[in-house]
Amino acid sequence: MGPSTMTPNISTIVEESRLAAAAMVEYAGGLAHPTVRLGVTGLTRAGKTVFMTALVHNLLHGGRLPVFEALNSGRIARATLKPQPDDAVPRFDYEGHLRALVDERRWPESTRHLSELRLVIDYQSESARRRTLTLDIIDYPGEWLLDLPLLAKSYAEWSAETLALSRQEPRAALAEAWHAHLATVQPDDPEDEQAALKAARLFTDYLKACRDERYAMSLLPPGRFLMPGDLAGSPALTFSPLDLPRDNRAGAGPGSLWAMMKRRYDAYRHVVVRPFFRDHFARLDRQIVLVDALAAFNAGPAALRDLEGALVAILGCFRAGRRSWLSNMFRPRIDRILFAATKADHLHHVNHDRLERILGRMTERAIAQAEFAGASIDVVALAAVRATREAMVARGRDRLPSILGIPLAGEFAGRETFDGETEAAMFPGDLPDNPEALFCRAGGAFKGLTTADARETDYRFLRFRPPLPDVDASGRPHLPHIRLDRALQFLLGDRLA
Amino acid sequence: MNSRDHRRPAAFRLDDPHVVVTSPDEAPARPSGRATVLVTPEPEAAALPALLEQPGMRRRGPPWGKLFWSALAGLVALGFCLAVASLIESAFSRSDVLGFVSLALTLVAAVALAALTVREIAGLIRLNAVERLRAQAEGAIASDDREAARAVVRDLLAVEKAEPRLARARSQMQAHLGEIIDGADLVRLAERELMAPLDQDARRLVAAAAKRVSVVTAVSPRAAIDMAFVFISVVGLVRRLADLYGARPGAFGLLRLLRLTIAHLAVTGGMAASDSLIQQMLGHGVAAKLSARLGEGVLNGLLTARLGLAAIEVSRPLPFVALPQPTVGDLAGDLLRRRERADEPET
Repeated sequence: MGPSTMTPNISTIVEESRLAAAAMVEYAGGLAHPTVRLGVTGLTRAGKTVFMTALVHNLLHGGRLPVFEALNSGRIARATLKPQPDDAVPRFDYEGHLRALVDERRWPESTRHLSELRLVIDYQSESARRRTLTLDIIDYPGEWLLDLPLLAKSYAEWSAETLALSRQEPRAALAEAWHAHLATVQPDDPEDEQAALKAARLFTDYLKACRDERYAMSLLPPGRFLMPGDLAGSPALTFSPLDLPRDNRAGAGPGSLWAMMKRRYDAYRHVVVRPFFRDHFARLDRQIVLVDALAAFNAGPAALRDLEGALVAILGCFRAGRRSWLSNMFRPRIDRILFAATKADHLHHVNHDRLERILGRMTERAIAQAEFAGASIDVVALAAVRATREAMVARGRDRLPSILGIPLAGEFAGRETFDGETEAAMFPGDLPDNPEALFCRAGGAFKGLTTADARETDYRFLRFRPPLPDVDASGRPHLPHIRLDRALQFLLGDRLA
Repeated sequence: MNSRDHRRPAAFRLDDPHVVVTSPDEAPARPSGRATVLVTPEPEAAALPALLEQPGMRRRGPPWGKLFWSALAGLVALGFCLAVASLIESAFSRSDVLGFVSLALTLVAAVALAALTVREIAGLIRLNAVERLRAQAEGAIASDDREAARAVVRDLLAVEKAEPRLARARSQMQAHLGEIIDGADLVRLAERELMAPLDQDARRLVAAAAKRVSVVTAVSPRAAIDMAFVFISVVGLVRRLADLYGARPGAFGLLRLLRLTIAHLAVTGGMAASDSLIQQMLGHGVAAKLSARLGEGVLNGLLTARLGLAAIEVSRPLPFVALPQPTVGDLAGDLLRRRERADEPET
């Protein structure tokens, strides 16, 4: 599925040798200055920006990270921001995002493109030698990851898969207009810009509708259709899958609509996907994948299954495996991957283990593969910035483990709609002990917003405002968190030993 | 999902008149009057968990041995009491003054004995608590259970509350208890915070005792003297180590600790053979070449060091997980080098 299983051809060999050359240059540089490239990714609204802001803030100002051994034992002397190595990549606006979080108490703008930040950590190793570790953090949308499998798929394969997926419930209802348009065009029609434009627009609308809170679908390639950036309106983004009758393969010759779409699909792969893979993705050492499982719980079982599909596709892309000096020189590999269920503060802590188990269940096959290759993978429920407190609610004879916080304006649960100022106690529903209960295919395993009214859902996770900032002894804002330290220990602990 | 056992999500606005917010310290008032919902914010530290159950010893038949010793002890005590009673009687028969003096002495002795017994029992209880704590810590690390780990850390703080140097570490740990940290991580954190300074002291104590023993053996004229000295040093060492780690055993506790230490040495001896036996032979060989007495001194020192390490493991309330376990090499390497250097001018 991943690029590693591509059939070898000239372009693959050229690509691999370019990667190997780049890797060797970096290896030589890394000998003098040990560097870790940490990839932070996650699908939209998973909390990438907040995670990075919290991570950088806690490292720079030595936050409360008891489980992160190097910092807690005092071996990290200091961490400083330094100019980043890649000049063509936007800088991660840490200061702006922190201001939004602390001063304005709103969640920062979401990640729309790739950005980077370099931190230099001065530390003393366990054998008491003074060292520095350069940490390059690269933040990119998870949707781009879902593009990587396209590198290995032809237009015909991709068309067939995408159409099959769009005919399943609940996607079929959202894709109705697009399907209706597809029925009016034939692949062997002569190429027609207007038909292509309309198909692409309707296809994009369908993808956008799938992402709505009520459906919360995850597996929505190609990623740039949702976040076009500077390519908006270019032919590379003006295509759509076409229905190809089985007996009609020969009929779609040059000059046909099919050939035009195919050309544009290839252009997309070439202009968008491959440069991302080569320039950024293939150079990562460590990776954290943030997953907003709670949005899928809100939406329903279909969204949860879709998320599972997306995670499997994402894991298939990683070049995971144990590192050796040889692999470092020619073909860097990701040797640690952390799957983090974010927004753990939206749950009472009695449910955290269950959330971890559910995420572990969704990724178990991929984890087994990666572990076989020698990479280590962990699953954690975390909240990079903790926005809530916990409370026990007594209603009649029931004791509901709940959370206290200020829901964002416009959030609704049951009959209540919140104004963003009132504090509320929220009981989101008990996660099941056994994750299989959520995935059993027979009927709806549970009711979500996709199929039910907001009053009848089995789970409701509200979004809360950022917490009132807590100021530490030196007057700097202190960001509370849940298990950020454990994530850091897993991702960086061994490199700071 | 079964709708009967699944509780539906619910939201409660805190400004709703039907919602009452109570503080966790207050007695849990019954929802009364118009208030139908009671919200109790949880203190950052979770509530005290139930004590873990101790797996009981399996009983094998009637306890004849225990019965025998108890009965015998009872008889001896009875005989002793009778002897004291007859002593007081005969004192009274000679003169009243003598009688009252002996009675007063008996009472003082009885009170002191009672106090001693209480202290011994307290020491044994503390020793038991340390052993239980170590087992629970191992369990908490294996199961990664947050509540179990919190209980372990709370017990550990209680055991170490008398150690003045840990005041800061204790208060930090107290703060960490309220955070959301996973079980195994919490125990490891506690080990790093609370055990690290004690481990260093323990290492120093063992090294000092080993050094002393090796010097005394090297200069003592008779084997019996060094045997006695080794014994006394080891007993003192075990006691100081136990005090250091917070067990503070009494005399009986010390006996038990010595027994455990020697048993532990017997168990780990086989496993440690690969490194320490070679070290001993090597150390002995090199030193013996220089001088027979010095060689014996080094050997006795190494023996003391190993006993000391076993005592550390027995009296330390947490297993070695996050911190490295001291080895004979760490402690005795220094010893060997010193002996060799000290020996050089002679040869």
